[in-house]
Amino acid sequence: MKSTIQDIIQVAESKSLTYQQKLFNMANVAERLIDPRELLGYSDEEMQYLDNSMICDLNEGYALYRPRYIVPDYKVFIENGCRFLNIDPPQSLDELLDGLLILYRHVPSITSFPVYIGDLDKLINPFIQGENKAYIKIKRFLNHIDKTIVDSFCHANIGPEKTLAGELILKAIIELENPTPNITFKYNKNVVEQEFLLKSIDACLRVAKPSFSNDVLYNNDVGEHAIVSCYNALPLGGGAYTLPRLRLGTIARATSSIHELLSDLLPHVSRAMLSMMDKRVSYIVEKSNFFETSFLAEEGFIKKENFTAMFGIVGLADAVNHLLKLEGIHENFGTSKRGDEIGHQILIKLESIVKNYQGVYVERTNNHYLLHGQVGASLHDEDNYNTPAHRIPVGDEPILPTHLIQAGQFHKYFPSGTGDLFAFDQTYLNHLDAVADIIKGAFDIQFRYISTYLQNSDLIRVTGYLVKRSEVAKVESEDVVLRDTDIFAHGTNKNAHLFNRKTRKDGE
Amino acid sequence: MENKLIINQIIPFSNVDGSGNRCAIFLQGCNISCIYCHNPETINYCNDCGNCVNACKYDAIHLVKSRIQYDKKLCTSCNACISICPYNSSPKAILYNVAELTELIKQYKPFIRGITISGGEPTLQKHLIIDLFNRIKPLGLTCTIDTNGFFDINEMEDLINITDKFLFDVKTVDDSFKLCGVANLSSLATLEYLLKKNKIEEVRTVVLNSYMDGKKTVEKVAQLLLNHLEVTYKIIKVHTLGLSKQRQNKINDFIPSDEEILELVQIAKDLGLKKVEYVL
Ligand code: SF4
Ligand code: SF4
Repeated sequence: MKSTIQDIIQVAESKSLTYQQKLFNMANVAERLIDPRELLGYSDEEMQYLDNSMICDLNEGYALYRPRYIVPDYKVFIENGCRFLNIDPPQSLDELLDGLLILYRHVPSITSFPVYIGDLDKLINPFIQGENKAYIKIKRFLNHIDKTIVDSFCHANIGPEKTLAGELILKAIIELENPTPNITFKYNKNVVEQEFLLKSIDACLRVAKPSFSNDVLYNNDVGEHAIVSCYNALPLGGGAYTLPRLRLGTIARATSSIHELLSDLLPHVSRAMLSMMDKRVSYIVEKSNFFETSFLAEEGFIKKENFTAMFGIVGLADAVNHLLKLEGIHENFGTSKRGDEIGHQILIKLESIVKNYQGVYVERTNNHYLLHGQVGASLHDEDNYNTPAHRIPVGDEPILPTHLIQAGQFHKYFPSGTGDLFAFDQTYLNHLDAVADIIKGAFDIQFRYISTYLQNSDLIRVTGYLVKRSEVAKVESEDVVLRDTDIFAHGTNKNAHLFNRKTRKDGE
Repeated sequence: MENKLIINQIIPFSNVDGSGNRCAIFLQGCNISCIYCHNPETINYCNDCGNCVNACKYDAIHLVKSRIQYDKKLCTSCNACISICPYNSSPKAILYNVAELTELIKQYKPFIRGITISGGEPTLQKHLIIDLFNRIKPLGLTCTIDTNGFFDINEMEDLINITDKFLFDVKTVDDSFKLCGVANLSSLATLEYLLKKNKIEEVRTVVLNSYMDGKKTVEKVAQLLLNHLEVTYKIIKVHTLGLSKQRQNKINDFIPSDEEILELVQIAKDLGLKKVEYVL
């Protein structure tokens, strides 16, 4: 969305933003002051879909000067150090952790905080000499990240192999109870060791992380990759230029039949978004001089050839519910067989549109942009009527087994990521193997990503990222909070009642 | 009715009925009536007396041709019907034939390690359970039975052979009448037999003073378990939450203290058991 001069004043005078948040917000307002018709060549039709909220560009801005998500290959640092920053290859754990913290300051993203900080267990493990000392350092390192990268979209990966470093990281995150970094356990049932998995599940129930990704499936779809930001699977040593999203609920509500949606409006809006993506990607690559000025590119942490772009959707449930109503069916997405059918029809249509389109500068993903189940954000009134990705609206969820099966059938459409989250009650803490069975089952039916948490734990996952409930409560009274995702979460929570997400008691 | 299982309730995912995540199926019908029973509505089969019809404010129960009919869609789980039933039964039990039940379990298959038949007392419907297990085991799921152990092993040979593991309640080692309402029952020989066949996953004892001898029971069980140290022994303090006032009044004065339970745990450990758990 375009910004106005008034937005600058609003940011300057805000009572709830910290200095740093104001700084980043000022920059973002500036990027959006420019008319995308002039700078990027957006057509009137494309503008119209932005203005009527069918397309949301997540306020990425129009004067683009970096890719949205950057996924550096930090192994380069271990081998070569960093010439630009004048750092030698690390020789000890201290030098490694110190060097990484320095590097993180120089990894751009849409929020200006790094969305990927490495496969930490693999980076750290070779440097461990003496478990106790290493533990203290790792814990301090993770705490440092939480206090300086004040954005829960910051993401580390561990697994699937068991390592001492991985175990120490799990121990530290339980003790720290920090929201950042977000952590994903890459799950591969042929490699994973049960004991390591159970420790991860224990952590996940206690502090809502790590989440679990289907490593086998993602290796198939994306090749060498990392899980970054919320749950996006992106090529390692590259990333994603941009992520606009279709508000499917909004689009469907403008139609009066499934036929009209599938054969007319949806293809039109989708093509408009694809063309916008072309323009955005081209600007970053051809005009912004990002790759020419980035030492990350110069020194091989990232390569232009490893970038892709993401075609996001939200509001499948809302679109389906509208169409069910039109068909005179009194059922809701999540517990409706016909609803599932309509969901597939919409996604099959989208998949074919996106797969048949030649994107620009995305040779890494066969010249195609990748479909993405976006977790949601609260930027507009319409976000109240567009449930995240293909999720079932809170309150409409069926019992857990049915919910898992319903959700799992839609994961296949989203190679650059989608995920579902499930709350469990305290009894599961004593039965971690039961959660392990559920996670294994989810991946057997081709889930891409699953997050779990205890309903009564202080830390709770709101859509794809982590926040503290108590901090969210503070936003209600406009207190200043440290993290911008808390404010985000506050919005999402109000819209989707996420804190009331169904707890899985034994027996449900 | 002969060829249908009478099921009080199905819990698709349970983490407390055997190892891992399991589908737990609670059958209607029990051969004893323990003083502390928390699900007395599973004890008897409904005799269609109709007493519960008017107790339901949600119109979920009807008498149709003198038989009880229950509409799950209208039910709010208020349990008024169960409270009023004079026969320790429930109008909500559902009849399943084995094929139907198998189909239902197949849906849950990716997420569960196996199924557990509980009750009531499952061994009362042994023929149908054998049929069910014969269909479930080829799916790669394990089959567990939760039993009070009051059955004749000679009559249960087929069922024992096909069952992977039993969760085994040892109610008491003294006369069973006071605690279980039926005289002259004993389960220790059955337990010993099943242990030898490597069919026991877990033994449990609920401790309630005066109605049974906790110490004596724990000692006897421990002796049997000494040769099977991989088996868990769970010692559980009786609790009154959810019990009817009548039942509460009968046992309120005999609830063991936490210390007494911990002492029993110590006794079991001192006798040499390795896997002793307790619930206070
Ligand atoms: S539990 Fe269901 S059937 Fe029984 S009284 Fe309540 S609503 Fe009626
Ligand atoms: S459930 Fe109980 S009260 Fe209702 S009809 Fe059956 S026996 Fe009678």
